[in-house]
Amino acid sequence: MKPKPDSRPKYWRSLSELEGDPEFHEFVEREFRSPVEQEAPTAAGRRRFMQIMGASFALTGCYWKEEKLLPHTKQPEGFVPGEPVHYATHMELAGDPVGLWVKSYDGRPIKVEGNPNDSVSLGGTGVAHQAAILGFYDPDRSSKPLQRGEATSSEAFDQALLLAFRAAAKKGGQGFAVLSRATRSPSLLRLKAELKKQAPEATWTTYEAGYCAGPDKGAELAFGHKATMRYSVEKADVIVALDSEFIESGSPGALGSVRSLASRRDPDVGEMSRIYALETRLSEIGSLADHRVAVTASAIPALVALLDARISAARGEAGAQAAPSDNALGGAEAKKVIEVAAKDLLEHAGQSLVVVGAKHAPEVHAVVHRINVLLGNVGTTLTYLEPAESINGGADDLAALVAEMEGNKVETLLILGANAAYDSAADIEFKAALSKVKQSFHIGLYVDETAELASFHAPEAHFLEAWSDSRALDGTLRIGQPLIDPILNGRTYVEHLARFLGLPETSGQAIVRKTLGLRADKDWQSAVHDGFLGQPSKSLEVKLQTIAPIALPQAVELEVIFDLCPKVHDGRFANNGWLQELPHSLSKLTWGNAALVSPVTQKKYGLKDGFRCKVTVDGRSIDLPLMIAPGQADGTVGVVLGYGREAAGVVGGSKKEETDIIGSDTYKIRPSKAPHFASGAIALIDAREDLGITQDLHAIDDIGRKGQKDREDQLIREATVAEYRKHPSVIEHKVHHPPLLSLWQPPVSYDGHKWGLAVDLNKCGGCNACVIACQSENNISVVGKKEIARGREMSWIRIERYYKGDENSPAVRQQPVMCQQCENAPCEQVCPVGATMHSKEGLNDMVYTRCIGTRYCSNNCPYKVRRFNYRNYNLEAYGITPYTGTDEPRAKLKAMAFNPEVTVRSRGVMEKCTFCVQRIQNVKIKAKNHKRAIVDGEIKVACEQACASGALVFGDLNDKQGRVGKAHSVPRAYELLQELNNRPRVNYLARISNPHPELSTQDGHAEHH
Amino acid sequence: MVTPSTTNPYQGPLKGDNPFAQITDNVSRIMEAPKPPLAWYIALGFALMLLGIFGASLGYVVWEGIGAWGHIHPVAWGFPIVNFVFWVGIGHAGTLISAVLFLFRQNWRTAINRFAEAMTIFAVVCAAVFPGVHIGRPWLPYWMFPIPNQMGMWPQFRSPLEWDVFAVGTYATVSILFWYMGMIPDFATFRDRSVSTVRRFVYGLLAMGWRGSSRQWHRYERAYLLLAALATPLVLSVHSVVSFDFATSQLPGWHTTIFPPYFVAGAIFGGFAMVVVLAVPARQFFGLKKIITMKHLELMAKVILATGMIVGYAYAMEMFIAWYSGAMYEQFAFLNRAFGNFAWAYWTMIFCNVLSPQVFWFKKMRTNVWVIFVVGIIVNVGMWFERFVIICTSLTRDFLPANWGAFIPSPIDYATLAGSFGLFFTLFLLFCRYLPMVAMAEVKAFIPEGHIHDH
Repeated sequence: MKPKPDSRPKYWRSLSELEGDPEFHEFVEREFRSPVEQEAPTAAGRRRFMQIMGASFALTGCYWKEEKLLPHTKQPEGFVPGEPVHYATHMELAGDPVGLWVKSYDGRPIKVEGNPNDSVSLGGTGVAHQAAILGFYDPDRSSKPLQRGEATSSEAFDQALLLAFRAAAKKGGQGFAVLSRATRSPSLLRLKAELKKQAPEATWTTYEAGYCAGPDKGAELAFGHKATMRYSVEKADVIVALDSEFIESGSPGALGSVRSLASRRDPDVGEMSRIYALETRLSEIGSLADHRVAVTASAIPALVALLDARISAARGEAGAQAAPSDNALGGAEAKKVIEVAAKDLLEHAGQSLVVVGAKHAPEVHAVVHRINVLLGNVGTTLTYLEPAESINGGADDLAALVAEMEGNKVETLLILGANAAYDSAADIEFKAALSKVKQSFHIGLYVDETAELASFHAPEAHFLEAWSDSRALDGTLRIGQPLIDPILNGRTYVEHLARFLGLPETSGQAIVRKTLGLRADKDWQSAVHDGFLGQPSKSLEVKLQTIAPIALPQAVELEVIFDLCPKVHDGRFANNGWLQELPHSLSKLTWGNAALVSPVTQKKYGLKDGFRCKVTVDGRSIDLPLMIAPGQADGTVGVVLGYGREAAGVVGGSKKEETDIIGSDTYKIRPSKAPHFASGAIALIDAREDLGITQDLHAIDDIGRKGQKDREDQLIREATVAEYRKHPSVIEHKVHHPPLLSLWQPPVSYDGHKWGLAVDLNKCGGCNACVIACQSENNISVVGKKEIARGREMSWIRIERYYKGDENSPAVRQQPVMCQQCENAPCEQVCPVGATMHSKEGLNDMVYTRCIGTRYCSNNCPYKVRRFNYRNYNLEAYGITPYTGTDEPRAKLKAMAFNPEVTVRSRGVMEKCTFCVQRIQNVKIKAKNHKRAIVDGEIKVACEQACASGALVFGDLNDKQGRVGKAHSVPRAYELLQELNNRPRVNYLARISNPHPELSTQDGHAEHH
Repeated sequence: MVTPSTTNPYQGPLKGDNPFAQITDNVSRIMEAPKPPLAWYIALGFALMLLGIFGASLGYVVWEGIGAWGHIHPVAWGFPIVNFVFWVGIGHAGTLISAVLFLFRQNWRTAINRFAEAMTIFAVVCAAVFPGVHIGRPWLPYWMFPIPNQMGMWPQFRSPLEWDVFAVGTYATVSILFWYMGMIPDFATFRDRSVSTVRRFVYGLLAMGWRGSSRQWHRYERAYLLLAALATPLVLSVHSVVSFDFATSQLPGWHTTIFPPYFVAGAIFGGFAMVVVLAVPARQFFGLKKIITMKHLELMAKVILATGMIVGYAYAMEMFIAWYSGAMYEQFAFLNRAFGNFAWAYWTMIFCNVLSPQVFWFKKMRTNVWVIFVVGIIVNVGMWFERFVIICTSLTRDFLPANWGAFIPSPIDYATLAGSFGLFFTLFLLFCRYLPMVAMAEVKAFIPEGHIHDH
């Protein structure tokens, strides 16, 4: 229901309103919007009130001197304290917006959820989105403008920036440069155009550390014009992924792609697709693939060329790449798989898809475009869309700016968020160049490495406290609304730009609304309510051009491959404890980065697991810990960017605050000419490193390895689709056990609800979004590296990673394990104080207040999903030592990230997954109030909500036709450790692979014993 | 009624005019001497130092959180529970010697039963410390007791930990009663011999008006017999129940039906070893060689040999059943125990508990004080390792390999282990000095001279 402005009750919200402050009135006007789910005649007023109240409550005497906490003199109509409300917004990361629903509880955002109506992400989220809540309440965020490191006023900052711009504008903008990050925000682009209009000579440079020129320029080479690719992976029967991250969050449209990819991996619903992955590291697509081969990055062009040669020959098309010689192809296995894949692609022409990693050269992308066109995939699995306006750029663009700065051509540099002092390539001397700039202005969330060097700094508003817009991959718009007033005085880039450009509208809301051209209130309200707007871009007719032969890269002895960190991205989320402590999906490394090498490379260079090593590229070296990562291509060293920050904050490492630097800065060896992979060297440093890893923390001996191998087939049950179709009971017969009899009658009959969860192993690629979602929803502590190294992590969901097959060409299996909510629960029987009890809906309820911490339940839990608070992790200010004590306002701010619906556990108690009992209760109460039954899918537990691939399904098992009821009834559903007769409520859906018949005999993954 | 058994160590008459007086003298002068031997002071100083460490480390644990211990995610029970089971096990020999051997008329027990009982009680004290402080919220262990309260909380009686509370509680209560009752005639002797008023008052109080009349003796012996009968099943029950903590769980390596007899045998084994470790220096320093004779030590060595072999059989049977079960996780648990990361602990245990007592097959060895003493220590080390192997190594690797971990004890772990010995020895040394270390009245009944007046 839309709010009716007239019905808003008259109550005053702050002293400034009583005094008739015009700015406040303006604020109230622009704050008008509607909530998403609730019928809320007074939504705007309520929200605004709660914003002020929430913020003042948190920050009285700290940041909000002028605000007063005031009680309602009259309760606003429709306002229910303690009832969470969802608001639609979006988060743009490196130019890729993802639609979100953010849960607001009494005026403060507490949980990020995917917007299921988003046309591109389809409701999925990645770790970065889930962790945004903690980033928002980060006390290290910049809170006041600085001038040369000293606090100054916003007015002084504005004045200085205005003067600098006016002076430059008089000269046509000469000497004025802007450095920004990638964006597809129409408002920012509109103001950029405005800036260009007022100061035509001003330069605007965009720098993203993770920028890849390949996709954009590849389309230009192939078609002569730019084109945006939009995949429809659900239509692809055969997918060939060449070193591709196209389903990993952070790459454009990935969340939608993984969902549509996963939809074709369910053998119980239609035909399965087949995935070939040839890649340098074990990626998400590699872990889902039916055939996976590790190849070096420099072999990819040759493999693409071979594929093109085969496809073109079969299609009788001229202008194909010459088939490269065998030794360029990265091994016989890779060649064989590509040959088979080529046949498979041709058989499924028009229903297939070839993708290549963004890091590869434009020529390679051009050839891949050609292959897809030749296969007739355009229009089915792949659509080319008119590219939306966007800005993006990489090392070349930054180098050009730095050259200008060094040539003293830049007098004023305005930096919008970019942290080039940290994340520029090793050979770009941004810091030195910055010192030659007369005046530099930095606007960002943190006083980071760049802000420390800038003459002026102003805090940026976090996306949860700002109006924003962005254009998604398909061309539709995303609109972001603030959930709360800027709690740390930040302003968005557009608000700053609008001010010094002298635009009539300077508030974020007015700017965004003007950009979107929504004059009618109704349209605006509806757009803000939905969080998105507009029609998808038109699809493009593409015509292939002749593509020159790809220059095959020289094979190098050792490739150093740079990737963005799947957790802290390019380093911008380094101060986020949840992300730092998140185990990397393969290495299970937390709090840092490592050089990942295959066992072969390790032996070849005499490296030692868990020791430090020196990695050298172009004569520059760094040292960092080494980890053996089966599945990494031989002859490559995988490193991630984003660590070694020196001004990230108390959590992520800060020289000023004297906290530990987390990980090693790999930008220091990243060459600007080859930013994604480069020839390098590696050598052992004889120093052991205590790594914070959460699996295989201690070396596995032969017995352990054998024991692990013996049981893997039972823990992660697998079959090929052919076997499964022939004998659907193949999964059931993986484990044989005596009849499961119990001495006792089940004490509960579960007549009402019977909650259950299904985990589809065929869909989980191990992206970790569920882990962070769970952490955010359930107030799970951050324990720090030291405690992780002692094996005391607290996560309620653990994604178990197992390698299968030969150590040199392994397949990886990801298995999320959370509390299995056993009906015959071993934990419940052994608790001497009855702190874990069985509910009549079958949940193993945990009564924290009753727990005395005998830990017997954990010992008796065969899944070991219970986590114990060995220390007072939360009192230690959410894991991070400098915030000891509860009176510190900074610690209080951090504590705002806690979900008020979930108890914050203290020292000495056991905790575990509750199936998000608070969510179950909320929906039950709502259904009861409306006197109706709970609809299947109405309760979405946090992990399920976050999961982009739809691998997790929660619901009532009594509803046999419900999603979870159906999932539990398919023949490939099995209970983990079923033979123990615990009767878990979580069922795993066995992994069914779809290998090509020609490859299946030699393929380790399809074999069964 | 009491017939001299073939195992009576007092075959020949004790030297001296009046053997009865001599026994009284020998035992009482320890208390009466103005100063105990220097060794006692040294030992007490050392014990107090360890006790200080114990107090400090437990204080630190309570203050800082039990994260101070080396527990990690899969290994939720570490040193504290190992120590608990170890001390409870030590506490077995006392009741066994006092009650079971009494009922079986093994009269040689009289020389050692008193301090074996004392040892039991002190070991139970040491054991009782650990469950309380090992829990996450050490200020709440009383929630495990069925105390009616306004919160409506009640213990969960299906939990073996709850059974433990009662098993150990009952055992401690009965042991203290038994020990104290046995001392009453000897307290009276002390009282009668005391010259200082304070001592006379204190021992008089403890003696509860004992006059040594026939009626008192008669009732005393009846009561003693009844208590012995009551205590006997406890010898079996307490460690059986402790073993249920493990046996009833699902963890491979714990879930074993052999545990109750195996734990009881192990406890007697360890308990006897501790008795010899205490008896050897005690008879040396307090001049009790005539009362605790070589024969006593030899008999105890035989018990150690016998129980050690039961324990060895249990180890072998565990392995066999693991193999025979065909259960993968079970097989792995035992394979891992013997050859995994903690193989060194397993083989230490085998050496200490199975191999070292084998020397007692030789009479020369079992009549050599030094050999007995050293083997006693080795067996105690072995029994500690047995609990460590069962508890910790089983936990390090259970079902899901992703959970596997290793256990690295923290300094606090070692401090509390050493400290618990401090508590034990402090109590024991005070006992030696101030309480009748040998049951004088009972010994007198069984020396040859005593039989003249027998029925």
